[in-house]
Amino acid sequence: MINGTIFKQTLRANIKLWLIFTLVLTLLQVVMVSVFDDRMITDIGHMVEGTPLAGFFGQTTLLSMLASTFYAIHGVIFPIIYIIMTANSLIAAQVDRGSMAYLLSTPTKRSTIIVTQASYLIIALVVMFCIETVAGFITLQVFQSDVDVVIADFMMLNIGLFLLMFAISGISFFFSSLCNLSKNSLAFGAGIPLAFFLFQLLSSVDDSLEVLRYFTMNALFDTAAILEGENYWWQFGILLGIGIVLYIASLVVFKRKDLPL
Amino acid sequence: MAIIELQNVTKDYGNNRGIFTINLSIKPGEAFGFIGTNGAGKTTTIRHLMGFLKPHTGTVKINNLDAWKNAAEIKQSVGYIPGEIAFPDVSTGWNFIHQQAALLQLTDLSYANELVNRLQLDPSANIKRMSKGMKQKTAIVVALMADLPILILDEPTTGLDPLMRAEFIQIIKEEKAKGKTIFMSSHMFEEIEETCDTVAMIKDGKIHTITPISTITSNKSQQFMIEFSNEQDCTRFMQEKFHSIRMNLTTASVTVQNHTLNEFLAILSMYPFNNLTEQKHTLQEYFYQLYAGGPSHD
Repeated sequence: MINGTIFKQTLRANIKLWLIFTLVLTLLQVVMVSVFDDRMITDIGHMVEGTPLAGFFGQTTLLSMLASTFYAIHGVIFPIIYIIMTANSLIAAQVDRGSMAYLLSTPTKRSTIIVTQASYLIIALVVMFCIETVAGFITLQVFQSDVDVVIADFMMLNIGLFLLMFAISGISFFFSSLCNLSKNSLAFGAGIPLAFFLFQLLSSVDDSLEVLRYFTMNALFDTAAILEGENYWWQFGILLGIGIVLYIASLVVFKRKDLPL
Repeated sequence: MAIIELQNVTKDYGNNRGIFTINLSIKPGEAFGFIGTNGAGKTTTIRHLMGFLKPHTGTVKINNLDAWKNAAEIKQSVGYIPGEIAFPDVSTGWNFIHQQAALLQLTDLSYANELVNRLQLDPSANIKRMSKGMKQKTAIVVALMADLPILILDEPTTGLDPLMRAEFIQIIKEEKAKGKTIFMSSHMFEEIEETCDTVAMIKDGKIHTITPISTITSNKSQQFMIEFSNEQDCTRFMQEKFHSIRMNLTTASVTVQNHTLNEFLAILSMYPFNNLTEQKHTLQEYFYQLYAGGPSHD
């Protein structure tokens, strides 16, 4: 079902972007982990007491600090931008430009194209988060060997973040497969994930905006539940399910639609 | 029997745009020309052949397979030049040719090399910096290199200079001699006239006529335009036994049967005239007549 020629070409055309984002994500993780300092956090905690930001610094463990920074902001927004750009270029941009005609003028099935391109996006994300996780893990061992960190929780944060990105990539890839114009694909494929991100961010800043949690998929990546040992498996299950359903839907819509090539 | 067959194919985009009850039947080995103005529905029809579009009604069949359902299977025997050339994100022309060859499972690139030489293409150039003509040549090489039995060409000579167009027409003639079925759209009359057996004209999404080229470019009679030295001679010439139409005071258009050509020249030699030109019976003329009026038959 995966076409090696198309996969190689996609890899060649997209590897630079992937490298840049993987590098940035990994560096952010390394920096975030290495700069953690118990005393500093306590100091800042005192400084922002009584402001809306107090929530960010209320907890003082390394993982809870990461949960409210890297796993809430940097580690979310950078992969989202990567997904938006890549998902659009994998299908919609090629239909919009017309270059898809060349793939389809050979005995290549539409389903093969979708499966190949989707595989690329999923594999790119898996490898990106593996590198980020391993780098984070090593940094923990090197710079924070004296701090008590629950490695299982750290792993779960990364798996949860990956599952969230898998579901988001499903959204972007679905609209890339559905729309014949890049601008439409981007309007939904970028608009929805960015809206989810903003809703999640706003809902965590102020209590009055907490209702926004119910309008964002990102709330299913519940870092508090992971760190406090609550049951979060159902949320992971839903994220995985959303991703799978959207990728299958991508295949179905692309097989059935008219292509202006 | 037909290798390409469209039956009552309609794709209605509303506002009279689209194609309507298209019926075409193309025999194996036939070169089929498809002519129409911009927006007449040529590319829409071709997109149906390629399985990019699903007809609202009717069926499109190639090799007796449904063009929509069996699109991938059909491509094993179809070479295609798209109307708009947009290449994938690859670096050089060679990279693109090799990639398409891999997708076609073609390992022998000797014909591709021959075409590259004949079209004077330099595929080592960066594909994004190629001129329109270079891109078109690359598309031609890719469509023809696998030596597939059916060729679907959407305005294949766009952007080619006159020398290259002549070379391309020569290549198409050779492909035809190999027994290939060719479906070629164009708005260039000469290339259709030179290469095709049959021509269909499409206007506003409807097929107007399907005619053998031989009946259009019939050579049983010829038409001449004569400009006489003065009015009296012209008037006098109108009395001769030829079928003449007076165009203006000194000019007449004459239709001469081939077997009376000698006689015609003998009579004409007695008249003082300034200019004699042969009027070719062209597809173009036929096309203009059609577009000027005449009901469509659908």
